[in-house]
Amino acid sequence: MDKFIEVINLTYSYRPGNGNEVKALNGINMKVFKGEFLAVTGQNGSGKSTLARHFNGLLKPRSGNVLVGGFSILDKNRLAEIRKMIGMVFQNPDNQLVSSIVEEDVAFGPENLGLPPETIRSRVGWALETLNIENLRRESPNNLSEGQKQLVAIAGVLAMKPECIVLDEPTTHLDPRSRRELLEIIIRLNREEGITIILLTHFMKEVVFCDRMIVMDLGEIKISGTPHEVFEKTTEIVRLGLDFPVATQLAAGLRGKGLKLPGNIITTEELIAQLCLLK
Amino acid sequence: MELTKNITLGVYLPGETVIHRLDPRTKIIIASVLIILLLMIKSYPAYAVILTFLSAVIFMSGIPLSYALCGLKPMLPVLILMWVFQLFLYSNPDSKVIFSFWIFTATDSGMHMGNLISLRVIFLFTVTTILTLTTSMVSLTDGLESLLNPLRKFGLPIQELVMTMVIALRFVLILAEELDKIVKAQMARGVAFDRGNFIQKTKKLFPVFLPLFINAFKRAEELIVAMEARSYTGGKGRTKMKTLQMSRVDLGAGFVMLIFSAIVVLLIITIKPQI
Repeated sequence: MDKFIEVINLTYSYRPGNGNEVKALNGINMKVFKGEFLAVTGQNGSGKSTLARHFNGLLKPRSGNVLVGGFSILDKNRLAEIRKMIGMVFQNPDNQLVSSIVEEDVAFGPENLGLPPETIRSRVGWALETLNIENLRRESPNNLSEGQKQLVAIAGVLAMKPECIVLDEPTTHLDPRSRRELLEIIIRLNREEGITIILLTHFMKEVVFCDRMIVMDLGEIKISGTPHEVFEKTTEIVRLGLDFPVATQLAAGLRGKGLKLPGNIITTEELIAQLCLLK
Repeated sequence: MELTKNITLGVYLPGETVIHRLDPRTKIIIASVLIILLLMIKSYPAYAVILTFLSAVIFMSGIPLSYALCGLKPMLPVLILMWVFQLFLYSNPDSKVIFSFWIFTATDSGMHMGNLISLRVIFLFTVTTILTLTTSMVSLTDGLESLLNPLRKFGLPIQELVMTMVIALRFVLILAEELDKIVKAQMARGVAFDRGNFIQKTKKLFPVFLPLFINAFKRAEELIVAMEARSYTGGKGRTKMKTLQMSRVDLGAGFVMLIFSAIVVLLIITIKPQI
């Protein structure tokens, strides 16, 4: 796979210079490949949001560099191009919607790109259709549920036709059902539209569907690999204060009761399959 | 929601009438012309002509008359006070005295002045009410942006100003809801907002507005980041999805307005002012 984003020795700190400097990122090295679904997890304050904000140049590294599609985020002339490639969805849907009409808000991004009106209209239509929220076109965001608002925010990013979407804990404010629906849509965008997804989350339920995951702590990458590889490192996961997916927990419990289950179960389907193999 | 229901800013009655379908720019221009005419009128016949015109517009727009006028109710005491002040305080050398007591004298020119000023305020209010009742805030801002666009040549940041208005419109309700939440949270902790004298009551508002302002700034900061992430760099190089288009209806409305203004101007010139 082609590498799309490359992070080289990235360091970032808040309030530098005076006594209470806070190191948020400490020598991060990582790659994101084209078309993959990458999950970034870690406790609050582990630096995952700070890292994500470097991907499209919202923050500037104190040292090191980030290359997106070969361009450095330090290159001011390329910033517009980088932001066009990488869309970003934030935690609170209310604080990222601009207009009081859904379709106008979705048009905000393409309008900023200076596209002709017909192109904007067709893109807005396409984005709303892809997310199945065409019926909300004329609504005001104030009348929508949190889940619907977050879908509008994603549509707004989608209408810019990005190659990659970074989602910064998009499900925090949602109820369990909208959370599931949003995750399904994220997976669909990745598989059907071929959009690279970087999902920041601390819900292990959401992590199990990704191709690759990164666990961060205190501004450093502690574990990385496929979900199967990561959740096998039981002691480290516990030490980093993270949860296990429900299926993994259940499998561990059953193993304790004497059932012969393998150690790499993370999804419900895998657990069911393994249980059916038992005699 | 107790606090939000009192916000009537930009109340809009959706509809499909000719008035609703007019281009927002046409409506803004017509309203401005009407306002200018109203500020020049100084005689009753001219007001009668304006009254006929506005009645026709209200009828065509399908707005219930009671709805169009109910906004005047809170202004009534001020209007009456103003009328009384004019009645006693305004006079010119050849005005006749109607009655007098103690140090006050009511003159006929004072009465006319009061009448004309009251009529002016009522009509100004009606014109702006018709405009906002038949035009959504979004198309109003679109129209305003398009009309003010030429001023950009003089370095005025029109697009940015209109963007600010659009965002303000979106956040008015959110902040009102938040205010409501904070008030309820403070009440749950035992603050009685309706007790105490004026100073005590005012003091109780600090713990309400402080968190509101802090939250508003936090929201603003998050919004800026989100807008930047969506490639916003100010008005330069931006296009619009919706392009405003004048139709034959607008042409007709402009024509009617032209004739009407000519009649009113003629009346202003020929009829001797009342005062």
